[in-house]
Amino acid sequence: MNKFKTTESFENHISKEKRSAKAKAFFINFLLSFYLFFSLFFSSSYLIYEKNILPSFFYFILLAFSFIFSLLWTSKNSSLGSMAIYKTNKFLKNRKELQSEFNLFSFSGIFISLVLILTILLGSILVDINLYLLFSSQGLSGAKRIFSALFQPNWNIISQVLSSMVDTIFIAFLATFIAIPIAFFFSFFAARNLMKNSLLGNSVYTVIRFISNFTRSVEPLVWAVIFSVWVGVGPFAGMLALAIHSVSSLIKLYSEQIESVGQGPLEAIESTGAHPVLVVWYAVVPQIILPYLSFTIYRWDINIRMATVIGLVGGGGIGTLLVQYQGLAQWNEVGTIVIVIASVVWLMDYLSAKLREAIY
Amino acid sequence: MSKTILEIKNLEKFYENGVHALKSVSFDVKQGEFLAVIGLSGSGKSTMLRCINGLVPSSSGEINFQGQDIISLKSKELRLARKSIGMIFQHFNLISRKSVLVNVLSGSLAKVSLFNGIFAKFSKKETDKAMSNLELVGLKDKAYIRADELSGGQQQRVAIARALMQDPEILLADEPVASLDPATSHSVMDHLAYINKELNKTVVCNLHFLSLVRKYATRVIALKDGKLVFEGSPLDIDEAWFKRIYGEQAREVGIE
Repeated sequence: MNKFKTTESFENHISKEKRSAKAKAFFINFLLSFYLFFSLFFSSSYLIYEKNILPSFFYFILLAFSFIFSLLWTSKNSSLGSMAIYKTNKFLKNRKELQSEFNLFSFSGIFISLVLILTILLGSILVDINLYLLFSSQGLSGAKRIFSALFQPNWNIISQVLSSMVDTIFIAFLATFIAIPIAFFFSFFAARNLMKNSLLGNSVYTVIRFISNFTRSVEPLVWAVIFSVWVGVGPFAGMLALAIHSVSSLIKLYSEQIESVGQGPLEAIESTGAHPVLVVWYAVVPQIILPYLSFTIYRWDINIRMATVIGLVGGGGIGTLLVQYQGLAQWNEVGTIVIVIASVVWLMDYLSAKLREAIY
Repeated sequence: MSKTILEIKNLEKFYENGVHALKSVSFDVKQGEFLAVIGLSGSGKSTMLRCINGLVPSSSGEINFQGQDIISLKSKELRLARKSIGMIFQHFNLISRKSVLVNVLSGSLAKVSLFNGIFAKFSKKETDKAMSNLELVGLKDKAYIRADELSGGQQQRVAIARALMQDPEILLADEPVASLDPATSHSVMDHLAYINKELNKTVVCNLHFLSLVRKYATRVIALKDGKLVFEGSPLDIDEAWFKRIYGEQAREVGIE
């Protein structure tokens, strides 16, 4: 992309970039300062009165105050927002006059420490931390009842448990297996270094990244709920849920691997005049095959653990069995299942670690 | 000398990160010459070489090669033009997990179909040519071993064989010996000189060491802060010019 033809057009662009960076920096500073003031007043109100006594118009005052505060603050290059933006903007990051180093004892340093302290304070207020409940005698006796049942497993149901466990392993295996070719194909289009050179490439990259980020941010548990409505409760729904999540996770892992390949071979094959597909095939693929294998084995390992969890919401396999016995409060049977799950997960974890070690 | 093979006019390059790498650089490359490009690290030598085959898109100016302007070419035409421009690199840039032969054959990927390329089906003619190019650089017996098992100098010679697969009109060499020891450097430079003299290929070569420039180049250009500051014979670079190109503090070190 030849955006700049002359020194003037380049400098124009830099000043435009500076303005938008300033706006972004202001936005970050604004959010940070509002959060700081809000959490300061909110937690002090709890600490003093044990409830929130702030009237709603007070938030507007805080908003206005944060606005003015961050306006003033953004004029300094050492404000948190400015530092974050100037250090990451590719046009501005090597302009010395805009950069300032973070120092814990500067205004920004104290500001961020305050934010951290107030967040811990606010968090413990909101989570309702109560050590009394954790150590009350009633609570402890309930815990003892469950634990002792879990440690006295009922081995009579072992064949049922094992057959469900086999289901779970195959759910995980199939989900991984289906995800591999799909993720392999799309990972190239989700790699910045291969796609960012043309407008078309850039838009394909953006679309694929968006879809994969979205499907990945929806937890497999939620996908299992969706698919159990779609195709009915059972292993098929669980497999689909894991497969879709595996595709998007593997796209992310694979494409990051592509982004980190050595650029040298790419340049070399490109300079021979080869077709872009062959450039990728010769210069990128040999560099990524082994890391891909390792990621895939790791993913299978994750999928076995996840398959257990999504069984809880109707994804079939051992999780479904677990939730049935748990619903009937048959803790000895639950204990059997937990032992089987733990052993299988441990075994798979060990195998996957060994396999990945052998590959590298 | 003979006719002009490559003509560069007012070449400018602005990088997205704000670096003005090339400032109105103009020069000609003549058929059959060995042109050395010298200058400090960061003076724009590598960028300039990459502009010639479009690995780095130029910002403005003209690069005339075979009757067309490289800068204005669309990607497909650019690929076609690249077929006649071979390139070798400081870090050799071989595919380390593949055999030496496959690495050499990858130089002729522009000539095969997508299908044959993906399944690495190269014709007998291409394979024979690859073997004879390997023989030329003295590595025929290494054809079937993995590229990363070779020494640096051998890898660079494989890279030369790969570039020769393109039957290039012109060979670009970006610091070809900068990561090699002195003895190996001369071996690699001798191969480049052979290709230049015996196979009559034009060579444009970025170099660090003036001793190598004096020994191998027929002509020199020097870049400083993206500007062309010297153009002439290697013997014309005296003490005064040396300080102008490399700065007052610089002192020449040799590679003998």
